Amino acid sequence: MIGLVSYIVFFLILSLIFGVAVLGLNLQWGFTGLFNAGVAGFTAIGAYTMAILTGPARDAVFGGFELPFVVGLIGAMAASGMGAAIVGLATSSLRHEYLAVATFGIAVTIQLVCLNWEYLTGGTLGLIGIPNPSKAWADGPLAQNALYLLMVLVSVGLTFAALERIVKSPWGRMLKAIREDDVAAASLGKSPERVRLEAFVLGCMIMGLSGALYVSFIGYVSPWDFLPILTFQIWTMLIVGGSANNRGALLGALIVWGVWTMSGFIISRVVPSEIQAQGGAMQAVLIGLILVVTLLIRPRGLIGEELHVSRHAGP
Amino acid sequence: MLQKFGLAAVVAALTGIGSSAGAVDCPVKLGAILPVSGPMGQVGERIAETGLFAVEQFNEAGGVLGCPVEYVLRDTQGQSAVGVDAAKSLVDLDGVQALIGAVSSGVSLPVLTSVAVPSKVVQVSCCSSSESFTTLAEEGKTEGYWFRTYATNRSQSAIGAKLTVDSGFRKTAVIYVNTDFGVGLAKRFERDIAKLGGSITSLVAYNESQQSYRAEVTKALEGNPDSLFLVAFPVDGATITREWLSLGGTDNLIVNNSLRSDDYFQAVGSQFLQNMQGYDSAQPRLPSVDSFNEMFEARFEGPPNGPGLHSVYDAVTVVLLAMEASGDITGDSIRDNIRLVTSPDGVEVYPGPEGIARAKELLAEGKTIRYVGATGALSFDGNGDVQAPKMTWKLDGDENVETGYMSTAEVAELIRMLDG
Repeated sequence: MIGLVSYIVFFLILSLIFGVAVLGLNLQWGFTGLFNAGVAGFTAIGAYTMAILTGPARDAVFGGFELPFVVGLIGAMAASGMGAAIVGLATSSLRHEYLAVATFGIAVTIQLVCLNWEYLTGGTLGLIGIPNPSKAWADGPLAQNALYLLMVLVSVGLTFAALERIVKSPWGRMLKAIREDDVAAASLGKSPERVRLEAFVLGCMIMGLSGALYVSFIGYVSPWDFLPILTFQIWTMLIVGGSANNRGALLGALIVWGVWTMSGFIISRVVPSEIQAQGGAMQAVLIGLILVVTLLIRPRGLIGEELHVSRHAGP
Repeated sequence: MLQKFGLAAVVAALTGIGSSAGAVDCPVKLGAILPVSGPMGQVGERIAETGLFAVEQFNEAGGVLGCPVEYVLRDTQGQSAVGVDAAKSLVDLDGVQALIGAVSSGVSLPVLTSVAVPSKVVQVSCCSSSESFTTLAEEGKTEGYWFRTYATNRSQSAIGAKLTVDSGFRKTAVIYVNTDFGVGLAKRFERDIAKLGGSITSLVAYNESQQSYRAEVTKALEGNPDSLFLVAFPVDGATITREWLSLGGTDNLIVNNSLRSDDYFQAVGSQFLQNMQGYDSAQPRLPSVDSFNEMFEARFEGPPNGPGLHSVYDAVTVVLLAMEASGDITGDSIRDNIRLVTSPDGVEVYPGPEGIARAKELLAEGKTIRYVGATGALSFDGNGDVQAPKMTWKLDGDENVETGYMSTAEVAELIRMLDG
């Protein structure tokens, strides 16, 4: 039974770390309609910043400041935010699929920079020995992971509460107005360009937080963690959970990561060992099938957007 | 939907835990985390099948401590998060005490630091080549739970440098693939060749799967090198070689083991490669290797050509022998017994059901053994690394001919000289 508890704790840590990135994407796509196809890139910036700020010193590699965990988290968010501000300003005239193509290209570029800029990122060897703060405060893998889960839950809770407050504020209503019709919003004196940039930066900062939490947990970062498949996974989580709903974003992360991992578990149990080497293909089919069926049954995601009608709108 | 999946997991997990709670409850489970789908899927699938083959042979010899061994394979899809989850699930839900895998270092390393070491489970990789593992081990962060049956880059750069200098080249350009494998190899090569009296004119990294490498080749041509050390894989390697030769580069090529491939020779044209030399991990000249190759051919109807097949067979067999030797099955006892079943003073035992049965008899009599396997005699150093014998080769017409052979002991001596 201990094994099961231990695994569930581990599962929740990983899926909630993904959930943080999904919350960031939800602010951008769900509420503002920004098609960011570069999630992996902004997660990578946060992850590497965390590794550089909190990791141990290494010969021939920059960084190794051994700063505290919380400083690392804040630094990661700041770095992702700065990266996003530059990208956001450069792409401010792009919408929809054009923005998607641009951000996708930027994410690929960031991954290649991580791969090649050895002095900063350790190149293809990555950065090792990133401390996990829970290891200093607890004994045994289960206690350590439970403590780390607590830290992830606090991060998710704060992010969730802040986002809920933001999207219900006047600024949040402005996001939706711009998403629905930016010409109409501009005619009311709002500045869609500026608000889009703000939402983009804020969303990317949250993705950076996700990357930082992942790196501290795993203790290692390499360019191979930020391939385009990560962007795809985060997007799938948002679409399945229901975009423009923060609860949906978190639920989507749990469900999609659950399907992703559980399908492998089930195949290892059900498929006879002689043909398990072919099981990888079956797992991919199973993941695809479950996602397609979910979307057919619930096209707006498991929990879609809650519709609000103004109190002042009368018949 | 969440509830349904949760329920399935709980039911499956409970049945799993029930059968693996005690130390020697049957069956004994061995976890494997390998990329059987995704970009490495083709390679991973054959490795996974060979791992199963090793388990089947052990079971033919009566299994471990009287129990049949169950091989539980999980796919990493080549992604670190998926691999880490799979490993954690094997440890927590299946109760495995040893993991075989993964293939790429980018997956093996997160598994090691976030699952194997904290859970005190042994991890043996067939294929991960990154130097980061050696660094971690030297810092004590692997706590001895990490082993690999893949001979590290260390010997590759040494033999490459020796071959270059022995051929009379003094100014060598280096073009290498920008992966952990290529970077580690090129950096070591630079140090080794300096010790042997050669020198480097340039170190140029290239990224995989580009249409052209003209810029990299042009850069490598600077300084008028008399030879080129090329660390590449066949498709990109052929592109680079063609551009190198057409831009006036020397045909004195020294190439790494991955280019010992007909695809590469044909894509460039053998007539242009007559001054090329290469090295490779040699099949040790041992009956154990021939017998593995024969058994493999009989089982899979084809020779064991491909990365990781010999080394995964030995990874599985060594772990199972260590379990047999320790008498109970915990990560700690497997870790402590791996060197006892590969002891240089031990009685030699060989792969295959008879060899394993013989090993079990010897262990029951309290003797130490030396497993001489599909990759020859394994000898793990303090960091869990092994060395392998090397051979050198060249092309004669279209034919790939061997020009030299260095045994494991000679390779170890060369490395001692270079590091000393």
